[in-house]
Amino acid sequence: MNTDALKDLLYRLADDQLILGHRNSEWNGLGPILEEDIAFSSMAQDKLGHSLQLYTLLHQLGEAEPDTVAFTRNAPQFHCAQLVELPIGEYDFSLIRHFLYDHAEILRFEALSHSSYEPLAQVARKLKGELKYHTLHANTWIKQLGSSTEEAIERLQNSLNYTLPYALGLFEKTAAEDDVISEGIFVGEDEIRARWQENITKLLSQTALNLPDLTTLTPVYGGRFGEHTEYLQPLLDEMAEVFRVDPTAEW
Amino acid sequence: MSLTSLDPRISRLGLPDSPLLPPDKPELDQFETYEVFHQKKEGTAYAYVGPVHAPSLEVAFLFGKEQYSRRFACTGLWVTPTSAVQVTAYGDDAGSVYDTLSGGQNEPTEAPLSESAEEQAAYAAGEEDYDIFHLKKRGKAHMHVGKVHASSHAMALQQAKAVFGDQRPVVNVWVIRSADILRSDEEDRDIWSTTPEKKYRDALAYKVQDKIERFKAENPENAPQA
Repeated sequence: MNTDALKDLLYRLADDQLILGHRNSEWNGLGPILEEDIAFSSMAQDKLGHSLQLYTLLHQLGEAEPDTVAFTRNAPQFHCAQLVELPIGEYDFSLIRHFLYDHAEILRFEALSHSSYEPLAQVARKLKGELKYHTLHANTWIKQLGSSTEEAIERLQNSLNYTLPYALGLFEKTAAEDDVISEGIFVGEDEIRARWQENITKLLSQTALNLPDLTTLTPVYGGRFGEHTEYLQPLLDEMAEVFRVDPTAEW
Repeated sequence: MSLTSLDPRISRLGLPDSPLLPPDKPELDQFETYEVFHQKKEGTAYAYVGPVHAPSLEVAFLFGKEQYSRRFACTGLWVTPTSAVQVTAYGDDAGSVYDTLSGGQNEPTEAPLSESAEEQAAYAAGEEDYDIFHLKKRGKAHMHVGKVHASSHAMALQQAKAVFGDQRPVVNVWVIRSADILRSDEEDRDIWSTTPEKKYRDALAYKVQDKIERFKAENPENAPQA
C-alpha cells in the first residue's frame, strides 16, 4: 500500500474536520436559539472527535501524537480546504457551509467505509452515523428557512453564491489521487463531487433557492497544498494557545 | 373586605380577600412546544423524556435528539406537537384512571391490531391508529403501552380502556393520533451509534479533586486559613 498517498488523504480529512469543528464551536453561546446553539456546538464537538480518530490513524502510521499534530503545525502545513477556515460570519453563511460541507463529508465516509485500508474503513463505519445526522440537521434547516421569508431566502441565496466556489475547493486533487483510487483506498474526488452535486441539487430543488450552474464557477483551490486564507493562522494561534503555554496541561 | 388568616402576620398585611386578577400579559413571541419520547434500548417501550420548542415538527426532532440523546444511550425518538396530546384526568396512585371514565363498558375487548382485512375495514370506516401512553406513578414518565384503532381521541381512550384497562396502577393516560407523531427512521438507526470516546462530554470525566489536593500541597501559602 502507498503509505504516503494514504497519509495525504488522512491529513486532508482530519484537517477539514478539526478546523471546521473549531470554527463551528465559535457559535457556542451565540446560537440563534438555545436548542440550536446546543445542536450546533454538539456537532462541532463531533467533528473534533472525528479529527481525533483520523489523527490517531496517522499516528499508527508513524506520524506524531494527535495533540502534537493538531496544535504545533502552522497554516502552510495544514491540508484543509479554504472553505472550513472562513470566519463563521452570520448564521446564514454558517448554515450554508454546514450544508455544503456535510453533504460532501457523508459521501466521503460512506465511500471510506468500503476502503481497502481496513482501519480507515472501521473508523468510517463508526463515524458515518454521526455525519448522517449532521446532514439531516443541515437539510432540515435549509428546507425550513429556504422556503420561508423573503429575507431568509435572500440571505441564504447570497451565502450560497458566495460559498459555492470555496465548497468546490473541497474536491481539489492532490498527487495522491491516482494511487488512493487504484489501491481501492478511496473512490476519488470526481466521484464524490458528482454525487454531491446530485444530492445538493435534489435538496435545493425543494426550496426557493437556486443552485447556480457549477461549471461557470472557479473553484477556490490551494488549501490541500498549504495555501490558506488570512483567517487560518489566527484560528490556529487561538486553538493552540493553552498547548503552547503548557504542553502537559490536562483538563 | 380584607383577607383574614390564622396567621396574624398575614392579616396585618391588609390583603384583598380575593386575589387580584393578573394584568393581561402580552402574547409571548415564541415557538410552539413539542413533546419528545425516547427508546433507551432496542425492544423497550418508548418513554416520555421532555419538551422542546421549535418552529416545526422536523426541527423539533433535531432538537429532541440533541437534548435527549446526546449524553444518554438512545435507539429511537418520537416527537409530537404538545397540542396533539390528549390528557385524561389524574387518578389516585393505586387504582386506574380508566375506572373513572364513563361509558365504554361494552366496547370490544380485543385490540383490533391484526393487519390486513380487519385493519383495512377499520380504515375504511374512518378509523386510524392512536398511540396510548400510561403514567404509572406521579413524577415518573409516561410509557408507551400500545396502539388502538379508533375514529377519535375519545373513542381511542375507550378502546384503550378495553385493551389496557386491567393494568394497575394507571395514574394518567395520554392519547396521541399516530399520524401526529414523527418517528425516527429504521434506515437511520446508525445516527444513534456514536463514537465510543466521548467521556469528555460527561461531567464525570472532569476529575479535579486530585488536582486541587496537589495544588494545595504544592502551594501551602494559598491554602484557606483555618
